[in-house]
Amino acid sequence: MLNQVFIAGASDGLALGNMLFLLIAFAILMLLLKKYAWGPVVKMMDDRANKVAHDLDSAEDARQSAETLQQERQAQLTSARTDANTIVTDAKNAANQESQKIVSDAQTTAQAMQDRAAAQIEQDRDQAMLSAKDDVAELSVTIAQKIIQKELKLDDQKALIDAYIDGLGEK
Amino acid sequence: MNEKTASFMLAGLKFDWPTIISITVAMVIVFVVLVWMAHRLTMKPTGKQNALEMLIEFTNGIVDSNLANKTGDNMKFLAFVLFSFIFVTNQLGLILHINVDGVTYLKSATSDPLIPMILALVSIGMSHYLSVEKIGFKNYVKNVYLSPFPFLLPINIIDQFTSFMTLGLRLFGNIFAGEVVLGLIWNLAQSAGIVTMVPSLFLAIVWIAFSLFIGAIQAYVFVVLTMVYTGEKLE
Repeated sequence: MLNQVFIAGASDGLALGNMLFLLIAFAILMLLLKKYAWGPVVKMMDDRANKVAHDLDSAEDARQSAETLQQERQAQLTSARTDANTIVTDAKNAANQESQKIVSDAQTTAQAMQDRAAAQIEQDRDQAMLSAKDDVAELSVTIAQKIIQKELKLDDQKALIDAYIDGLGEK
Repeated sequence: MNEKTASFMLAGLKFDWPTIISITVAMVIVFVVLVWMAHRLTMKPTGKQNALEMLIEFTNGIVDSNLANKTGDNMKFLAFVLFSFIFVTNQLGLILHINVDGVTYLKSATSDPLIPMILALVSIGMSHYLSVEKIGFKNYVKNVYLSPFPFLLPINIIDQFTSFMTLGLRLFGNIFAGEVVLGLIWNLAQSAGIVTMVPSLFLAIVWIAFSLFIGAIQAYVFVVLTMVYTGEKLE
């Protein structure tokens, strides 16, 4: 093989065709690889590099916005807690006042009812007394009449009985 | 080596079938494997895509460590193809040799001296071209041939020539030697039947493993030196 190259006689000749073939084949190989292997892969690698850079940027942004949001939420939480405390305190006060009012109202009402009931009782008693007094008076008059009639004389009694009987008959 | 070859003439140029077939097969393997690896790309790489991206990162790393600029970015694709092709070509001859009537039709294309030399010529030529393009012809002459002192001009010229020669011959030598030794081991294996066959088998395994390593290293070295030569001319 060495002879082939270094004893490049005029008859044998250096295989220059090999060189030419290699150059052309290499050029074709480069073209094909550029189109079908290198191009797509390098593009993909670049895309990935861009995507990673982009993702990192957006992650940073997202982190910052999350931090802002966190702070906002913290502030909101604090104010909400204060509000809630205020509301609870207010409600407690209002409830206390209300309950006191209700209790005092109830007391007042109860007192009034008691008073009215007492007056009613008094009145009823008075009325009962009055009617009892009338009944007693009537009864005593009747009794007195009966007693008086008993002590009348016979004639008178007779007359009285007659009168009574007459009275019965009329009735 | 008294190897036969099968060649044909076309438009006054001599073509060797073994070399052409070897180059074509290596390139087809490179193309098919890389396109297969680049098939169905996803944003989250898995399996073969990861491997391909690692390879690309690897060759990009070689370029970036020597040419960390715009020129380097344009060189990355060349470095990638150069590395893939030389790597596959180097390993091809170790894995498969097809020999018909004493002519080896499939082998490492880089074990043919012309192939590494033309690759080296492309690399070195490109480094000179880029140097002139980027820093201007005057600066190029000053930087490449007259530095650090003008009287070093002859040495610099020799230096440029030897850097081209060594770049090509290093690759050729390593791969060619690998195949020669493998051939010798095969001869040894055949020499005395089973007595030599068994030890030769182990010898061949060791040597092939070593040659695979050498092939990878040489592909790497070739690309690194291409970038170093380009980088030093651009300073």
